[in-house]
Amino acid sequence: MIAPQSPIVVTGIRVVSPLAIMLAAYLFFAGHNQPGGGFAAGLVLGSIAALRMIAGMRPIADAINVLALGGVVCGVLALAPLLFGEVLLDQVVLESTLPLLGKVKGGSALVFDLGVTLIVVGLVLSVLEGLGVITSDGTIDISEARRGVR
Amino acid sequence: MIWTLLLLHVIVILGISVAPATLGRWVFGIAALPPLATVIWGAITLGAASAPTAERSWVSGLDLSLRFEVDPLAGLMTLLVSGIGAGVFVYAAGYFSPGADGLNRFAATLLAFSTAMLGLVWSDSVWTLFLFWELTSITSFLLVGFKNTYAASRYAARRALVITVAGGLSLLAGLVVLVDQTGTAVLSEMEPVSGTGATVAAALLLAAAATKSAQFPFHVWLPGAMAAPTPVSAYLHSATMVKAGVFLVAVVAPVLDGAAGWKWIGLTLGVVTMFWGSIGALRHVDAKLILAWGTVSQLGFMITLLSMGTGKATFAAISIVFAHAIFKAALFMVVGEIDVRTGTRDIRELGGLARSMPLAFGIAVVSGLSMAGAGPVLGFAAKEAAVEGALLVDGAEGTLLIALIVGGATLTVAYTLRFMIGVFGPGPSIEVGPLRPAMAVPSALLGLGSFVLFFTLGWVNDLIRPAAEQVDPEATAYALKAWPGFTTGFQVSVGLVIAGVVVGLLAAKAPIKVPRTIGADLVDAIVDSVIVVSKKIAGRVQHGSLPVYVATMAVTASVAITPFWWSIDPDVIYRWDRPAQAVLAVIAVASGVIAAAVGSRLGAALGLGFVGLAITGIFVVHGAPDLAITQILVETVVVVGFVFGLGHLGRKFPPVGGLWRSARLIVSAIAGLSVMAALASSASAPTGEPATAELVARGVDEGGGNNIVNVILTDVRALDTLGEVVVLIVVAVGVLALRNAGRENETRGNAVQKNEARTNETSPA
Repeated sequence: MIAPQSPIVVTGIRVVSPLAIMLAAYLFFAGHNQPGGGFAAGLVLGSIAALRMIAGMRPIADAINVLALGGVVCGVLALAPLLFGEVLLDQVVLESTLPLLGKVKGGSALVFDLGVTLIVVGLVLSVLEGLGVITSDGTIDISEARRGVR
Repeated sequence: MIWTLLLLHVIVILGISVAPATLGRWVFGIAALPPLATVIWGAITLGAASAPTAERSWVSGLDLSLRFEVDPLAGLMTLLVSGIGAGVFVYAAGYFSPGADGLNRFAATLLAFSTAMLGLVWSDSVWTLFLFWELTSITSFLLVGFKNTYAASRYAARRALVITVAGGLSLLAGLVVLVDQTGTAVLSEMEPVSGTGATVAAALLLAAAATKSAQFPFHVWLPGAMAAPTPVSAYLHSATMVKAGVFLVAVVAPVLDGAAGWKWIGLTLGVVTMFWGSIGALRHVDAKLILAWGTVSQLGFMITLLSMGTGKATFAAISIVFAHAIFKAALFMVVGEIDVRTGTRDIRELGGLARSMPLAFGIAVVSGLSMAGAGPVLGFAAKEAAVEGALLVDGAEGTLLIALIVGGATLTVAYTLRFMIGVFGPGPSIEVGPLRPAMAVPSALLGLGSFVLFFTLGWVNDLIRPAAEQVDPEATAYALKAWPGFTTGFQVSVGLVIAGVVVGLLAAKAPIKVPRTIGADLVDAIVDSVIVVSKKIAGRVQHGSLPVYVATMAVTASVAITPFWWSIDPDVIYRWDRPAQAVLAVIAVASGVIAAAVGSRLGAALGLGFVGLAITGIFVVHGAPDLAITQILVETVVVVGFVFGLGHLGRKFPPVGGLWRSARLIVSAIAGLSVMAALASSASAPTGEPATAELVARGVDEGGGNNIVNVILTDVRALDTLGEVVVLIVVAVGVLALRNAGRENETRGNAVQKNEARTNETSPA
């Protein structure tokens, strides 16, 4: 359907990727006070990963690793307060004034949200990996998949 | 200290499960440390004035807590569980060959079992007890099935699991009734109860004990569990796990002693098991099976003594628990050593080992004497106490009990003798491998224990008396004696030893033949059919048709929603807030209809995309930017997914028969209406103040953000989010697993395809 390694598509994705990553970062950090959040950021990153797969480029990471990392982050954040005698998933908010950025506020919920982002990316990656076939050079070939499954 | 020890166990378990396999057999050295620390602590605290306790409440309203109290009985069990445990780990280092696979897994599982067993004997809350009871079932399942490439091993493990878990259910039910009757979940605070409820609890708890402690007819799993590596048998099937049922009976005996039926159910179970186990031990030719059946018999003996409910009998029962753990673990270790060094456990092939394995022979003689209850060994003193306990019971009941106990003890002498003659006696000389010190040392220590403890009976009495007193206050008046004098009990003992020797010599010549029993066969058949039926159910339910799965889920959810149809407030159904919503709704509905009706797959995908976009629009109009962003991003990713997925499939949907098509239409319509009903009903339901105001007020201060949606997701209802991401992980891992399964088929298919391709190379593809 889409020719693997088409130079136009590859270049296009290279141009769009940093913008999309910035958008994801914006959504991620804006989430606390404005629309956005970890889930949305994960979806943006996931769609970039998907585009790379379609274009026949190397996947960013193995789905299972991303998932595992996200799971560990969420799990640790959920359980850590118990060690300090607090309730499950209790939040710590830190506020400080940094040079250039001014007043910066961040809670442990932000880290929890990062875990959510990773898990969403991992889910998208794993579904796409499931639909395609990873070739020997690490890219995912969907045309191969078509023959393989049928 | 209790927490420290449990934590130490858990840390070592986790550590050795991730440790590199290059550790080899040293892993057993590490695994032996927590039991060693525990047994030292146990020995030190034995004399303590007050029992060590520990409690951590979980759900206080439901009385759910982890609550431990190391009372004298628990202290005695701790010495057995951790003392023999440490020995078994050393023994395992000798048992396995240096290059064996899965040693870390084995050591970790065995230590996990040891931890579960400690938790079980330490627990003071019935719920803690239940938790650790089930943990011992699961870990023992893993241990019995350790050689998981052998079908026999897996079968034995599954059978043990089905029986012990069924017993676990009975235990749970029994404990619920017990807590209801006594009004407390704390074992040490329970007062004696009687009446119908108490009888029900007694029956359920005795059934649970019977499954765990291999009482007839549930004993069938224990001989099968001999498929496990011998360290497992020496530990679980002699000293610890099978004692869990006896321990349970001992713990609840003070509470349920007065319940009608307690005594008679227990006595019947115990006596039948005692005899049937002895007969089994006279019947088999595998030395390990002889010991396993002997264990069944001894467990029956313990239950019999405990159920008699007299002080002396209870005292004797605890003594036998102690003595049996020591001699049976040693005997299992000896059999394992013989197995490793000669390559067989069949008593028809073994012979002459008295000369070629003198140390093992010595250990077996001492431990065997202890098992038979003859000679200057611990088992003798314990059995004397049992015989005297039976002699104290008056009347016809007493006569019957003496006859039964003497009969059982006679058969015990007989199978011990048969074991000794079969393994060490004359026979074809067999080649013997080199001595393995790691195997010899623990068994020698245990063998020595049976002997030495007989001469330090004062210390043993100090250990057993408080434990027995806890079960029955009268037991404190009794003591184990090295030399009872020429009492009636001693004369009975001499008589039964002589009779046992005669029977043993006869049975050593020819194994006795007995008919199969209906009870055991019935349990066997039930266990087998549980396995078969569950396989069938799984095959029927998980048949692999995606549309049927979806239809099942949709219909089930719709049925679940039905009650809410009546709670819909007609006022919540109105036209619109803004006319734009109507336009978007029309687009969404029309796209949905197109997606359902169109014949091409790409068209359907496009239709669904439009539905999503229209819903995004509705969110925007409604003023929900977070939802809109998420929705549109999901739509984007789904489109990419379609691009990937549609490549695999044909351009058009395959034709569908009229009947199936209408069925799908009906299911879809029902599901759609139900979702609508659920939404309308939840909009109608609000009672009390909406939470919005409070969320807004507290969001910034406590949640750390102005966006309420996100504060809800990551702080207020973070537990929900955690649950959701766990679902995402499960789905993703499921997808990956499916892909891998598909790839395995594919490689097989590819091999075929490649062969075909090779033959067709000349023709253009």
